[in-house]
Amino acid sequence: MRAGLRLLASALVFGFAPLAGATVHDQLFKGTFDVPPDAPTSTSDAARFLTQATFGPTAADIAYLMAQGRSEWIDEQLSKPATLGEPVVEAVSNARTAGGQNVGSNQRLNRWFWQAVYAPDQLRQRMAYALSQIFVVSDQSSSIGSTYMVPLTQYGDMLAQSAFLPYGQVLLNVTYHPMMGRYLNAFRNVKATFVGGVQTTSPDENYAREVMQLFSIGLIMRNPDFSPVLTNPLDPESTVPTYDQNVITQTAKAFTGFTWSDAPKGSGPPNYSGANFYTGGSNFAAQYAPMACWGTELFPATGTGSNNMRHDITVKTVLGDGGVGTNNTIPANQTCAQDLTDELAIIATHPNVAPFISRQLIQRFVTSNPSPAYIGRISAVFNKPGNDLGDVLKAILTDPEAENPPALCSGTNCDSYGKLREPVLRLTELWRAFNAKAPAPDQYGEVWMLGYGNFLGNFGQAPLESPTVFNFYLPDYQQPGVFADGNLFSPELQITNESTTYSTANVYYQFTQNAYQGMTNPRTDRPLIDLSSLTVNATNPTAMVATINAALFYGSMSTTMQTTLKNMLSYLNGASAQEKAWSAIYVAMLSPEFAVQR
Amino acid sequence: MNNSRNSRREFLRNMGCLACGGTAAALLPQLHMMGTALADTAAGSGYQALVCVYLYGGNDAWNMLVPFDTARYNTYTTSRSGVYNATTNPGGLALPLPAASAKIIDGNDPSSTTNQYFLHPSMPEMTTLFNQGKLAFVVNAGSLVKPITMSDYTTSSANYPQQLFSHADQTNQWQQAYAQQGITLGWGGQCGDLLRPDNVNTQLSPCISIAGANRFQVGTSTIPYQMSSGGLTNLSAMCNPTPCSGVSTSSVRDNALNAMLAETYANDFAGGYSAIFQRGRDLNNLLSSGLAGTTLKTTFPTQNSLAAQLQMVAKMIKLSMAQNYATRQIYFVTMGSFDLHSGMMSGTNDHAALLTQLSQAVNAFWNSMGPTDVNAQNNVTLFTMSEFARTLQSNGSGSDHGWGTVQMALGGAVHGGKLYSNGGGPITGFPNQALNAPNNFARGQMIPGIGVEQYAATLAQWMGVSVSQCNTIFPNLTHFGANNLGFV
Repeated sequence: MRAGLRLLASALVFGFAPLAGATVHDQLFKGTFDVPPDAPTSTSDAARFLTQATFGPTAADIAYLMAQGRSEWIDEQLSKPATLGEPVVEAVSNARTAGGQNVGSNQRLNRWFWQAVYAPDQLRQRMAYALSQIFVVSDQSSSIGSTYMVPLTQYGDMLAQSAFLPYGQVLLNVTYHPMMGRYLNAFRNVKATFVGGVQTTSPDENYAREVMQLFSIGLIMRNPDFSPVLTNPLDPESTVPTYDQNVITQTAKAFTGFTWSDAPKGSGPPNYSGANFYTGGSNFAAQYAPMACWGTELFPATGTGSNNMRHDITVKTVLGDGGVGTNNTIPANQTCAQDLTDELAIIATHPNVAPFISRQLIQRFVTSNPSPAYIGRISAVFNKPGNDLGDVLKAILTDPEAENPPALCSGTNCDSYGKLREPVLRLTELWRAFNAKAPAPDQYGEVWMLGYGNFLGNFGQAPLESPTVFNFYLPDYQQPGVFADGNLFSPELQITNESTTYSTANVYYQFTQNAYQGMTNPRTDRPLIDLSSLTVNATNPTAMVATINAALFYGSMSTTMQTTLKNMLSYLNGASAQEKAWSAIYVAMLSPEFAVQR
Repeated sequence: MNNSRNSRREFLRNMGCLACGGTAAALLPQLHMMGTALADTAAGSGYQALVCVYLYGGNDAWNMLVPFDTARYNTYTTSRSGVYNATTNPGGLALPLPAASAKIIDGNDPSSTTNQYFLHPSMPEMTTLFNQGKLAFVVNAGSLVKPITMSDYTTSSANYPQQLFSHADQTNQWQQAYAQQGITLGWGGQCGDLLRPDNVNTQLSPCISIAGANRFQVGTSTIPYQMSSGGLTNLSAMCNPTPCSGVSTSSVRDNALNAMLAETYANDFAGGYSAIFQRGRDLNNLLSSGLAGTTLKTTFPTQNSLAAQLQMVAKMIKLSMAQNYATRQIYFVTMGSFDLHSGMMSGTNDHAALLTQLSQAVNAFWNSMGPTDVNAQNNVTLFTMSEFARTLQSNGSGSDHGWGTVQMALGGAVHGGKLYSNGGGPITGFPNQALNAPNNFARGQMIPGIGVEQYAATLAQWMGVSVSQCNTIFPNLTHFGANNLGFV
């Protein structure tokens, strides 16, 4: 009942927002007015937008956004090229190997955090991070591990480069990437085998299942606003499955025949002597180049040499647009590339894709519980011919529901807008807010960001380190209590518990108390934050709290919390200016108010 | 239920329990009374604990427990695409037939043509415990809404659960013991709701997870307490325990943090985070020093995450018994990586490696419960859950998602040395493993003969939950022939 009331309230708040005409207005008056018409109304408003759209607001970005306005800022970000990690990580990896040092996930993560904090293409990097939580690949799988640390870095680059492409193209790039191949077993997946006419093996079903369940359409038919399609409107259980097990087994056949791009294809017809499906991946470039598919485009379907033809060319009865029982057919005897083109187009054009992907992107950037109308508006943008994920992200960030949070109610648990900030993002927000200075590169050319590391253990998350393909948390996770009772979703609370609140806090301590510029014996394995904006006011608790409120809370800190922090700083009057400063940041970072992005 | 933190804290203060963080029923006397009235106290004396070992990814249980007699072994071998051999049959998934000394006999089956099995060679410890009568297997259990056969399955989709073969959904259905979408309660948590009133300490949840959030332990008023296998850590630059006795920069920060956690919040996310953090502080105060002083004589395997989790469980059981915190507890630990679509039979993380870790970790836990250590072997029942077994047929280097599976239960109270495969439905016994046998699908996915709720209700009843309470926790239980499988 409470959720229903809130939806009604949302409609009232957002229903009359001036949507139409904004674009025309922009164009008419652009260049005429100093302040763009969609400029944030205040530095707080700008900081809030940058909290949604980047790895954390900086003073410089706030000023730039104020001058540009949201739309132009987004357009500029959409056109910025991707900052890449792979070339750097490959060079570090080679240098460390030459120096007798081991290489592992630390090298990848050092670069990832450097990009998060310092890359100019903030929106693209943030989108790549969001996509990495949908198209999940992880070094926690033994099929990737630290062995493929460099190509895994390139998987992240591929997501950044793909971030604003049409969805279907992203799906294609993901599907052909050897790290996804290795993670979900399309790599070296082969057609059915027969012994004496009896089928003894079938193609691996893993990618066929997860590409549909997690990367595109989900398990049940959805309306454009993500509400389930019901066969009986009065029965919420009367949902329609998107596919059945037979579709999985059939679809698995499409994802066969993949191997490293440099697997030797032999001397050519008729014998293809030297062809070896099971070798290759001989260097980093080969480990991230799109997989080759050993279909009829490379080898004959029958006769001499056909033993190398690993792709299943039988007819495939696959996903239909109308739910279980409706099907599409991929004809027999096609090339592997044609089968993949057909199959991925069938998935990408399924009506579920727009609401399924849009909702998760909204959850990553804005709010865990978008209204159906919000999802519906984004789905419409998603489905507009010619649009790409850049258009989708722009629509998400400029939607009235993103820009205008409902006024905070008075009372307890009366507001479910927003989301829990991810632990990783709370850290990058600290660094960006307080101008963290990265250490100089070490002798292997590596810039260290991680300190003692183990973010996965301490935070419950770290980029491209999900424990399973289901990401660190599910989009449908409902924390017991208020969320479950109200049928509300709270993904990030799935990794928030009595243990991780402590371990996360202790990481933040390491990056505040133990990592500021001017400290004696400064660490060289992590960025050092700049406390000067606080220490300059060391005897003025009110000014210090105002600085923190602007830097980390986009001005949203409650007066109660401001009083608590001011009192704390007053009681710390015997401490050094630096201790007052890091104490204020550290305690603020542990606060329930900072835990929320609203 | 929607109580403000203010009134909650006020209530705690009134009770003279300043540090209490516990769960909702600890805070609401009427809930406590309701629980007392409902709980079956017949088995309520003495300490008892359930330890759930969840195997994420779908354990290929048909390679954990394998028929030994020639006829059934040959069927198994054929369906699994032959015995694995790295050079001559790399796609085969069948295990070689071991020496007769590895054979185990199902004590529930007098027929020598059907009672011979062997366990995966990586599990010698489990073979020993089975032969000692401490370990039992529940065979061909899975998510069902009622007992069915293949013809029921093909007749109507209403006859079987939604979203079969999906990890997340089948995990939920095992942890709910209720094949229903759209609910959030687990069967462990609901048992906790009923059993908790007998626990002396109302602050410590009866459900304790060493493996993070899970649905299994969520009840109507029970929320799992989540610990790390590393134990409890101090909060940097704060007071541990909180508050400090004297004044220091740490105490000033600590007071500020506590003031913020004591505040009420309009926003659900802020309130949710605050409540968790507050519970963490309260439970750290309660447990930290006692846990640090709790040691075990048993050596646990290293480089084994499950072993580390079970070691923490053993310590918590010892501490809980010593401090009389509780008479009923339900623990949750996990292992992952069972989703072996590839590399099932070779590589550093193959099925053998996983089952080695499982067997060694469980064996160490069993030893730690022994009379010279914690001395609670008769008080603790450990059991596995996993969302499904896998296709018997190979996909070339592994197996895909299946349905009916095998679970194991271990304890002094377990009637071990036996297989339990008869739930009173139309499908009974160890399944015929021929592909496309009457109740199998084409790739050797088994229609279960035992519903998850039958397995769960058996364990719940051992904990003291009554049959009528089970019928509430497990709404479909009455559809099945037996409400107790008798293995414990």
